[in-house]
Amino acid sequence: MSEGRSTPWAGYAPAQAWDEAMDVHGEVREPYARVYAEIDRMSGEDLYARAEALASSYLAQGVTFDHAGEERPFPLDIVPRVVGADEWDVIAPGIAQRVRTLEAFLADVYGSQHCVTDGVVPRRLLASSKYFYRAVAGIEPANGVRVHVSGIDLVRDQNNIWRVLEDNVRVPSGVSYVLSNRRAMSQMYPDMFGAMGVRPVLEYSQRLRAALAKAAPDGVDDPTIVVLTPGVFNSAYYEHSLLARTMGVQLVEGRDLETLNGRVYMRTTAGRRRVDVIYRRVDDDYLDPVQFRPDSALGAPGIVTAARLGNVTIANAVGNGVADDKLIYTYMPDLTRYYLGEEPILPIVDTWRLEEKAAREEVMDRLDELVVKPVDGSGGKGVVIGTKASQEELDATRRLILADPRGWIAQPVIQLSTVPTLTDDGLEPRHVDLRPFAINDGDDVWVLPGGLTRVALQRGQLIVNSSQGGGSKDTWVLGGVRHRGSTVVPPPEAKVELEGVDSVPQDAHPEDWAHGQQQQQQQQAREVSGS
Amino acid sequence: MSTLRIEHRTRFTYASEIVSSYNEARLTPAWLPRQRVLDSRVEIDPSTWRTTYRDYWETDVVAFEVLQPHSALTVVGSSIVEVSPVRQRDERVGWTELQGPRFQDLLCEYLGNTPTTEPSEELKQIAEDAAGRLSPELTARAICDVLHDRIGYVPGSTSVHTPATHAWEASSGVCQDFAHLAIGALRHVDIPARYVSGYLHPKRDAEIGESVAGESHAWVEWWTGDWHGFDPTNDREVGDHHVIVGRGREYRDVPPLMGVVAGETSSLDVRVTVTQTA
Repeated sequence: MSEGRSTPWAGYAPAQAWDEAMDVHGEVREPYARVYAEIDRMSGEDLYARAEALASSYLAQGVTFDHAGEERPFPLDIVPRVVGADEWDVIAPGIAQRVRTLEAFLADVYGSQHCVTDGVVPRRLLASSKYFYRAVAGIEPANGVRVHVSGIDLVRDQNNIWRVLEDNVRVPSGVSYVLSNRRAMSQMYPDMFGAMGVRPVLEYSQRLRAALAKAAPDGVDDPTIVVLTPGVFNSAYYEHSLLARTMGVQLVEGRDLETLNGRVYMRTTAGRRRVDVIYRRVDDDYLDPVQFRPDSALGAPGIVTAARLGNVTIANAVGNGVADDKLIYTYMPDLTRYYLGEEPILPIVDTWRLEEKAAREEVMDRLDELVVKPVDGSGGKGVVIGTKASQEELDATRRLILADPRGWIAQPVIQLSTVPTLTDDGLEPRHVDLRPFAINDGDDVWVLPGGLTRVALQRGQLIVNSSQGGGSKDTWVLGGVRHRGSTVVPPPEAKVELEGVDSVPQDAHPEDWAHGQQQQQQQQAREVSGS
Repeated sequence: MSTLRIEHRTRFTYASEIVSSYNEARLTPAWLPRQRVLDSRVEIDPSTWRTTYRDYWETDVVAFEVLQPHSALTVVGSSIVEVSPVRQRDERVGWTELQGPRFQDLLCEYLGNTPTTEPSEELKQIAEDAAGRLSPELTARAICDVLHDRIGYVPGSTSVHTPATHAWEASSGVCQDFAHLAIGALRHVDIPARYVSGYLHPKRDAEIGESVAGESHAWVEWWTGDWHGFDPTNDREVGDHHVIVGRGREYRDVPPLMGVVAGETSSLDVRVTVTQTA
């Protein structure tokens, strides 16, 4: 700490949670030494000026998210989150193991269901999941992959243990923020990346493209891949367009696709072009009006049939939601042992299954000290933190649980770890989680070094989701000595260009959208009555 | 034993020309121990691309699309099926076994009610009263007897999307309603029950070779140690005049035809003809 002048670190004091940058005695943890020193050289004004520059660059780029129906710049904090090489070398295999378990489970659920006949999970658990899609039973993906992209949320608890908080294997979002955050931060701190050996993240798009290509239908050598978006009004449209352009593939909407003779085509100015792989960012229910919601125009009728015939690959596969149901989550350690014959590397959070009477009774008695979550919720929606809820909220929650015990789980409150974060009152500890992204290409699960660190911007707030007003940090995974013989420092991030993402198209076509909706209304389910 | 020839013809006529139509037909009778399918086909006019698959519920499905301009669509399912009479069933379980964890988990898909099958409070009470004094098998029969007494068979009084409770309140319905009501009440007292979609030759003593107007029909099967088919609409056991196409939790799992079309249907004509040939 500098003497004789005010440093931004003055007054920084970790609270009761595990602080990732500093221990309780104020000693800086080793991975943060360089970041600490860099900030220590700055004045408070300097720090705020840089934060301001980050925010305005984001606004200009259109890196926004939807908060309560309003587009806002996604807050990127000026202090990166640093993860040491030794830690990452446990996390990454832990994530990969988790993905392999999820893959095996999904293949089983939509196939022979050995996990049920062998008594690992109750049949009722699958049958009662809202995201168990019987319409896709028996469909076998070309290279066996259903979880092409996953976002496995991790937290680090008060005892410095990394735990899986939830699995996201439907349409996990947020990777564009990882890429954009890195780009902005590498401009802010050009020297540190090389010096610290931060592992690069920008290869994500090429990795994804390669994995999608490997998932193409059998016999297709040079597959046509598209990104399917619900459209410009979707809150993740920025991400969809960024991924399409960095992969060098077409971004399409449902109305650009049609199926013909069990194959999927896109309409182009040069006529129809066969589509082999659809990286879809449209939810299952909206993908195929024949099978799911007949009023949806966001997908295309017949694409589930095309997938069943092996003529197109849908990534991620339809029906994956059964695996990230939070009640299934409680069985994941058992499923890892069952399918892989391995002990889980990353533990889960202790979880009460409220369908079980004894568990339910205990939770009812201790509701004011636990967290309860809907099993199919996302984005922090419906989560009730007992310690912060009013008596009325607790009573209402009790009624909801009793009316639908299958619909809820309970967990102890985890004091998420904290990382220094710039607030109006200077640097303060704020709770964070981490969403590492993994890509499965069928041979290998690649875990993006880093991931999206989400920050709860309010003091003491434990819900970090951006839809709940959270912010983000760039996540720096240190390289360490990765190769025997010589120390290989990854290329400095600043030199890697994120081709073509400087501007996000603002060319929304509301009139086209209206057309889409009109068509949607015209589509009607028809069914024939019997006697 | 009887041999039945079935023709199920559906014709949609559109208000204006349609250029895009994607559908699935569940019109193929199932191969079962007591039901042999001698011949079966689905014809579609205009002729079109199609594929077949067997769905989660083991029903044969013809998926097809019509992407040429057309103002009418005709789908005809034809089949010849040999049906044996139902054997006497002897496997039976009591309430303790039925309500135990083993069968309640094994058959859980046929135990949970859906918004369509959810019974009214009154019907729940009737089912509970029966279950309180009778065996599972007799409870099931008693429930169907009540339905037969209380609900009038009134064609056109409901649609395929009508929840069972509406038919109960109106005291009228069609075969789907009878089936949904029975299923709801049975599941309420922990008896696994499933919806059966198929055909019925309406004449008990049919003449060989005489074609009659038949029905695209629905009934129930409940499980009391073995699956037992019963036709609550006609208050009778399922026999060799019933032909099974598919089974599921409710109508929506086995609709004869479903699909989407960019346009409006102005009329729909459904005819089922059944001929006993042997």
